Parts: sequence; C-alpha cells; structure tokens
Amino acid sequence: MDSVLEELQSIFREVLDQPQLNLTRESNSSNVDNWDSLAHINLVTSIEKRYKIKFALGELQELKDVGDMIDLINVKIAAK
Amino acid sequence: MMEYRWSDLYIGLRHEFDATFSAEHATAFAALSGDINPLHVDKAYAIGAGFPGPILFGMLTSSLYSRLVGVYLPGKFALLQGIRIDFSSPCYVSDHLLVVGEVVFLSEAYQRLEIKATIRKDDGKLVSKALIKAGFHGN
Repeated sequence: MDSVLEELQSIFREVLDQPQLNLTRESNSSNVDNWDSLAHINLVTSIEKRYKIKFALGELQELKDVGDMIDLINVKIAAK
Repeated sequence: MMEYRWSDLYIGLRHEFDATFSAEHATAFAALSGDINPLHVDKAYAIGAGFPGPILFGMLTSSLYSRLVGVYLPGKFALLQGIRIDFSSPCYVSDHLLVVGEVVFLSEAYQRLEIKATIRKDDGKLVSKALIKAGFHGN
C-alpha cells in the first residue's frame, strides 16, 4: 500500500469513526459513508497538520477522489 | 461582542473573561439537561462522597467555551464545529472562574480556526481544558 494512502486511511478511519474503512485511490465522498461537508473540513485540517502543508480552496475543489488528494499531497511535500 | 472575520485572525490571538455560577444556575442546568445525578444536586450526598458540596456540572462550566467562541473568538460570525474537553478538577457554586482562549491553528481553505482554551480557578488550578474547532457562518 502506498505510504501516503496508508496514512490517509488512518486519518480517515479516525475522523470518520470507521475503524474498518478500506481507503483506495478511487474513494470519494459518494462512496465513503459519513464523508460530509464538516467531516471534509476535519479531514483537510488533519492532513494539513500531518504533513505540515497548506491547501488552497481552489486546489481542493479540483480533487475528484483520494487518488487526486494523494497526488496533491506528494506535490506539496516535494515543494517543501 | 467581537466581530472578527477570517482576515483579522492570527496565531496567538487571545481573549479571556471571568464567570461565576450560582446554585440557581446548577438547578436550571439539571432541569434543562435532565442530569439529576446527586453528586451535582444533593449537598448531603456530595459531602458524603468526600466533596465540600455539590460539584458543578462539567458541561455547565464548559458552556463557557460556547461563550468564548460565540462572543470573543471569533465572536458574532462564529460557527462552532467541534470541541474536545478534558476535565481536571471539580469546581463549585460561587467559584471565580477564568476562561482563556488562544488561536493555535488556522486553515485557510475552509476558514477553520482552532483554539486552545482553559478554565481555571483563582488559585490557578485547572478545571478543564479544551481544543475547539470553529469556522464562520454567512453574513
């Protein structure tokens, strides 16, 4: 499992209170239970803290699934 | 009431205020919440349990965190989004409580702020501490 995906899975499990959640690159708010608007804010801020990065709203609005999020995280980590 | 907008906020922005609860407040909270545990409402029972009097409800004193967010940080335009509270020591009717909150994290994308807050008694003893998540509502 990709290391970022593995870490995101841990974050998603905690934030969404789903200890058995299996996150994939294809996961999105339509196919993951409880991924609603406030949970989304909690996910984003948890990810920002974990990787010490900041997202712009426009960047987040372009993401269609977890795979896109992983790619964006990797870009930001590389740019640090 | 403060009226901070997102652009006014910075790490370290801080507010404090003080408060005291009366026996009437505790009685009203018991009626509102339905929590009639004798440790909070029965003086003889509380003394028998080793306390000087009925302990104020933790969720009553924690209502001061609601005031912190809704009136001070960020104030009028606040939307409380989450709170984690740890209780440290009991407090009682007429205790003078000092509430302090400080912005510790800002996330630009969805305008989320996080506040570390404490409630302490006059002698500095910690009653509770909280990590509060808040955002803004429209207008």
